[in-house]
Amino acid sequence: MLFPDKLLLLAANLKQVIVQVEMTKVDIQKIIELTPRIVNIATIDESKDPYCMSFGFDPGLLVQSIKKIGLINSPLLVEEEKGNFTIIAGYRRIKAIKSLGWTRIPCRVLPESGISSLECLLINLHDNLATREFNEMEKAMVVNRLALHLPKTEILKNYMPLLNLPSNEAALQLLLRLENELDNDTRHHIAGGRITVKAIKMLIDMDDEDREHVIRLIIDLKLNTNYQKQLIDYIVDLSRINNVSITELIKDRKIEAICSDMKMNNPQKAGALMNYLRGKRFPTLIMAEKSFEKKVLSLGLPKGIKITAPPYFEAPGYRLGITFREGKDLKEKIDLLSRLDGIEDLDDPWKKDL
Amino acid sequence: MPISNIKKVFVEEGANRYAPTAEILNSLSGVSVQNVKGGKPWAAPDESNLGKDILHLLSFKGQFLKPCPGTREYICCGYQILNVATNCPLDCSYCILQSYFNKPNLRVFVNIEEEIENVLDVIDSNPNRVFRVGTGEFTDSLAIDPITHLSDFLLPLFSKRKNAILELKTKTTMINRLLDLKERDRIIVSWSLNSPYITAREEHKAASLEKRLEAARICQSEGFTLGFHFDPLIPHPNWKDEYLKTLDLLDKYIDPKGIIWISLGSFRYMPALKPVIMKRHPKTCVLDGEFIMGLDGKMRYFKPIRIGLYAFMRENLEKWHRNSGLYLCMESNDVWQQSMSWSPGNSMGLRQFLDDRVLEFFQ
Repeated sequence: MLFPDKLLLLAANLKQVIVQVEMTKVDIQKIIELTPRIVNIATIDESKDPYCMSFGFDPGLLVQSIKKIGLINSPLLVEEEKGNFTIIAGYRRIKAIKSLGWTRIPCRVLPESGISSLECLLINLHDNLATREFNEMEKAMVVNRLALHLPKTEILKNYMPLLNLPSNEAALQLLLRLENELDNDTRHHIAGGRITVKAIKMLIDMDDEDREHVIRLIIDLKLNTNYQKQLIDYIVDLSRINNVSITELIKDRKIEAICSDMKMNNPQKAGALMNYLRGKRFPTLIMAEKSFEKKVLSLGLPKGIKITAPPYFEAPGYRLGITFREGKDLKEKIDLLSRLDGIEDLDDPWKKDL
Repeated sequence: MPISNIKKVFVEEGANRYAPTAEILNSLSGVSVQNVKGGKPWAAPDESNLGKDILHLLSFKGQFLKPCPGTREYICCGYQILNVATNCPLDCSYCILQSYFNKPNLRVFVNIEEEIENVLDVIDSNPNRVFRVGTGEFTDSLAIDPITHLSDFLLPLFSKRKNAILELKTKTTMINRLLDLKERDRIIVSWSLNSPYITAREEHKAASLEKRLEAARICQSEGFTLGFHFDPLIPHPNWKDEYLKTLDLLDKYIDPKGIIWISLGSFRYMPALKPVIMKRHPKTCVLDGEFIMGLDGKMRYFKPIRIGLYAFMRENLEKWHRNSGLYLCMESNDVWQQSMSWSPGNSMGLRQFLDDRVLEFFQ
């Protein structure tokens, strides 16, 4: 059973494949018209996944759907010697069906002699591109598989844009490394979006043990994109400056206390951790900020009046903000301000305190 | 000497028609030469050395004289850069050129002799303006002088102009060609200086401090005006003692009365440079300080740290000599005030201060 619109979409994509790789051997119409045949599920070798681009997906919805209305779109396989089959398209469906305990499955089957590996790969790529978004690990899988058949220049020019990726060597290299150099847990965190690719880029050259500790911290505290980058920046700098390993740094008693504090929720823990690390990385700046805050607080500014320092005290001057309802109110506040004791001593905090 | 490490020469299409190309190739006999087309990635740059062992001769299509890329948020000295080459055979860990140019190799612009006329026209058509021109921003022109012979060509042109000076800034001892020339007027030979700690750890392939100062001493004794640049100042363990050691050496080798100016600048960098430094120089200490995002988008030390560096250097340099033309590179008015006890107020003021030094030394 196939929905007509899905069939048309698949056909359109497969035609695109023809244009892109100048496939002459595969008659797409023949693939579309293939009559599904019943295949023993045990003969489908899932461990060999040369065309697979599915990673970290939740089969739950698909299982439910198949359970309720059956398999609408039959997977596409290539038949190898000895009656075994390799999946071209339909990896998730076959996984779902296996989990349902089916032993037989209707599939469209191509003979091995009729299609090249690159053609199989491109059929699956375009089939997927039309129906869903790839997660970052899946993009890495696509690029790694393409790299077995195509020169880097072609991947950069034609396929990185297709995957919404920048066409530069550094981005390509990172993707090639993601699949080959990271452990399974980390790859699942990337696929699930719990760790950003930007963060991984900063972590990938790290010693395995150090990287594992950083990732654990990111996952445990559910750090957002900005915090992930900040955390890595701080700990890499502090490790280098203090000549201690990142693992040792993360085992710091204060960090462990923050992470295990039952009174704080995750966002509070994340904030506390960042403040702690920022204080260690920028002691002079933090001292200046605290000193300035203390000085402003000691002035006892009337309600509706604020004095703030520019970011990092870098721009010249400070800012005075007055909230008022009308001119009379403003005048009163200015009068109050002019009579405040100690306001004339307000100055760059480092002049007296540092 | 770094320039002797040249392993290959690329001659870009069209470069052969300029006389310096043949002269340079003659001075590099035995080095492999390859003719290449322009605008193409002739060879993937080796990330580890950025093509520092490849000399690339080409005709430069842009402007040869350009104002120093200062930003309006900080006080700029109004220096003019004579763009004779890009990239550098030395390998200082903190060098901004590592991420500044997107093209690798030591790129020498062989059409300088043809294009210099335009530069001189600009200088000659503004007789009331003082042009402080330098070659040391995008390369170390003296480091490559043994093969380019640029000083032979440039010194006579600048020495005879009454409204310009030429400053040759270096970290090397490549002064022999200068000494053989007769021109002294309106030529400033300058050295970048740092603490012995930073020099030894971070200024790879540069001459030692003693050797730089010995070269400076020779230039001074041969009648050249000198300049010095403590840029980038970098706080590090015992930085005060370490910078004092450099000042002691300065005192030992140099007569301060012959110094036209000494600049002070603290380490600053575009954020994109940090990963490059970390990759190329993993043992560096130059990234250890408390850097904040400056008003120009560059990372720079938190203000009181900069003030501390400058104030210390100023105090000790002034103990040595009170009138050495001390100035800050790319700093704000309040940093000037707090570290130097005066300020030129704005970029115009600093330009005037330095122009006056030129007039004092050369007229």
